Order: sequence, then C-alpha cells, then structure tokens
Amino acid sequence: MKLKVYADRLSQPVRAVIIFCEVNGIDYEEIKVDLANREHLTPEFAEINPMQQLPAIVHGSFKLFESHAILIYIASSFPGVADHWYPADVYKRSKIHSVLDWHHSNLRRGPITIVQNSILAPVFRSPLNPEAVAEGEKILSAALSKTESFWLDDNRPFLLGQNQPSIADLFLVCDIMQVKLVGETDWNRLLGPYKKVQQWIENTRNATNPHFDELHKVLKELKEKLQN
Amino acid sequence: MKLKVYADRMSQPCRAVIIFCKVNGIDYEEIKVHISKGQHLTPEFAEINPMKQLPAIADGRFKLFESHAILIYLACAFPGVADHWYPADVFKRSKIHSVLDWHHSNLRHGAAPYVFNTTIAPILGRPLNPQVAAEAEIILSSSLSKLESFWLKGNGRFLLGGNQPSIADLSLVCELMQLEVLDEKDRTRLLGPHKKVQQWIENTRNATSPHFDEVHRVIMLAKERQQHQRLKAAKNEGGSNMKRPLVSRM
Repeated sequence: MKLKVYADRLSQPVRAVIIFCEVNGIDYEEIKVDLANREHLTPEFAEINPMQQLPAIVHGSFKLFESHAILIYIASSFPGVADHWYPADVYKRSKIHSVLDWHHSNLRRGPITIVQNSILAPVFRSPLNPEAVAEGEKILSAALSKTESFWLDDNRPFLLGQNQPSIADLFLVCDIMQVKLVGETDWNRLLGPYKKVQQWIENTRNATNPHFDELHKVLKELKEKLQN
Repeated sequence: MKLKVYADRMSQPCRAVIIFCKVNGIDYEEIKVHISKGQHLTPEFAEINPMKQLPAIADGRFKLFESHAILIYLACAFPGVADHWYPADVFKRSKIHSVLDWHHSNLRHGAAPYVFNTTIAPILGRPLNPQVAAEAEIILSSSLSKLESFWLKGNGRFLLGGNQPSIADLSLVCELMQLEVLDEKDRTRLLGPHKKVQQWIENTRNATSPHFDEVHRVIMLAKERQQHQRLKAAKNEGGSNMKRPLVSRM
C-alpha cells in the first residue's frame, strides 16, 4: 500500500513533505497536480481533498490534508523515521506544535503575499499589487526577526535549540525559500539582517541534501521561465 | 507545582483551554491577563510568552504558547484525560490535527477579524474596519459551509463523525461563541443556514456542562452590553427622526 502524495513542487508545504519522504526513505508515489493549470480545482481532486489544496495524501483508504498533519502522520506511522523529526518526548513535541502553529499565522503569510502579488501574479491570473508586496515584506521581516531572536538558539543549528532537524525546520525553511522567486537582490535585502536565520537555512539544506536542492530546482526553473 | 494558565476569558482559545482543564479535573491556577488593559503587552508577560499572546501556560519550568499545542500537551501530560479528547489512534489523531490546522487558516481567520471589526474593536480602543470585516465575512461564511457539509458530515454529534468531543470541537466551538456579541440579525444571517453547526455547538455545550456556560459568562455579559448599546443608539436615532404628527388640512 504505497503512500500517494498529491503535489505541485511550486507549493512550499508540498516540498517539505516530499523532502521528508526522500530523506526518510518512505516508499511513496508523487502524483502531480498542476496549480497553474487549476488541476486542484477539478471535481476529481475534490474527491481527494474537498478543500482543493495541496499537499494531500492517500494511504490505502486513509486520506489526509493539511501539511503539518501529514508530516506528523508520516513520522508517526512509518518505521525507521528518526526520533528527532517528531520527538516522542512530550516537551520537545509540544514546542514543535507551538512553532508550527506560530508559523501558520506568522511566517507563512509573508512569502506567499510577496510572491503571489509580484512574480506569480501572471501565473495565477491576478494583478500585480505592490502595496500587498510591501505588506508581505513587513510580515516576513517581523517573523524572521522573531525566528532570529527567539526560535533560534545562539549555539544550536536548528529551531528550538535542537542539534538535529525536526519537521518544523523543514516547513519554515521551505516557506522562506519561496522568496528566492523574487531574485537574489531582494532575497539578500530581506534576509540580510538575520545571520542566524541564514545559517539555519544552510544547516537545514545540508541536513537534507541532495533532496533539498533537487526539490528547490523548480523555483530556479520557474524564475527563468517567467523572466523570458 | 500547579499548572498556571494565563488567560483572558474574552479570548476564544483561552476559553477552550480553561474549559478543557475544568472538564478533565486538571489542577490549575488561572492567572488573568486583561487584554483590554494591555496587560499582555507588559515586559512581565513577555517573560511568559515573548509573542505576547494568550493563552500561555507554565507547568513548572515548562512554558508553552499556541492554544492547540497547549491542549495537546494537557491531553498527553495529565492523567485521567479520556482518550476521545486526543485519541491515541494515529488515524483519528491525524484528522484532529487536520481540522485544527484548517481552523487556523479558515474559521478563525474569518470569525475573529469579522467580530473584531464589526463589534469588539471599540472596547479595546481601536477603530472598526468595515473593509476587513467584509473580507473576513466571506471567509467566515465559506468556513461555516465547509463545517456543515464536510467536517460535520454523517451522523456523529461532533466533528469528524465522532460521538464524543475532542479538543478540536472545543477549540472551534469557542471560536464560534464569539459571534454571540454580534447584532442578532447578523448572527442569524451567518449561522441560520447551518443547522448541523448549530446543533454541534449545543452538543459541545452539553458535553462540557456546566463549565461551558460558566466560562462563557464574560462573553454573554459583553453580548448584553452590546445589545443595550444598540437599543440606546436606535432609540436616539428614532427620536431625532421622529416625524411631526400629521396635521389635518380639513
């Protein structure tokens, strides 16, 4: 009973789920659902996920959506997933829940608002909106600032003072990576003040390579395509 | 060391945490942090939660914020909490995570700004924002429809076809109770079409009685004050618009 992962690698949480599966040797099948072609809005996909969003998984007769719920399910159900991804210790696990929920209402909104109102606007047939981009940048900066000062310890490579990555590191870093779409100059401007954040992104990338780079190729390819 | 729960009962997620503690006989101390007085913005409270939001807990040296993380921690760490609140079964548990996350981006994302920008803002000295309220109403209506048609599908009394409440029922119903402070006609307009949602709110209330009503007293008092103010405003308006009595031309 192979795990089916409904995915479009343009989506940040989709990338987090796939990188996790690759790193942990999970036997899965990636089923592409093209967001730009609105395939997530078809009645067929509504059978998989009535909210019509990605990612979604099907495992035998069990269907699940919401990316945090998905990775917690996979970490809990598949053998051989190292404890650091979703620790059994109730204190460590609670902190992961806390940063994941904070991420939903804070960090996640920043990159999405920036890219969907600028470079991705034509892909989704909406107008460019510089005011919304400015708003997105403010949200991102506030979240990066909190990550730098609170979620990242001075001496530890990953979130919450951990020495090994958890599912939280994957989700937050994949979300920040979306900003790569707007180009290196803006990336450097937005991330520049946050040294610990930059190091942490690199730590997460190294801990999950070559899969991290492989999954993020789609951003480079899309950027080149949109610029031409 | 007693669990400390930092709370303002005007906050929906605070109510969910407190009701959960009461229903499950968890030994705790409620430390009131008044949002309307800005007590969540003090440096003292920032020591508890640097995000300066409620609820937050301190269990010995362990501090935690984000209400869903708190509810899960309490369900796991305290003995005697019945399984239905946060089932050990990985499939049921995953569905609870799914609806809790959906709630954040949908029901809460619609309900909270809608209520704030039509009613609550002035209580906190902030202006109402009709445009934000209008956008939030769209999200709220869509979320209520999804609750009615998907999350409450089937014959279960609670979310996800359950016959016993979970932490998800508590979290989402407490969010919806904030709608009590709205103008009755708005509340009826929003909730009226959704019979299953209304029944589910009642089921959750009954399953957590008498604590549900006790913890919601503060919002029901706010509702009364709002109704009183609306009546007063309507009377004043009526007075200034009062037509002169018709004078016969005969």
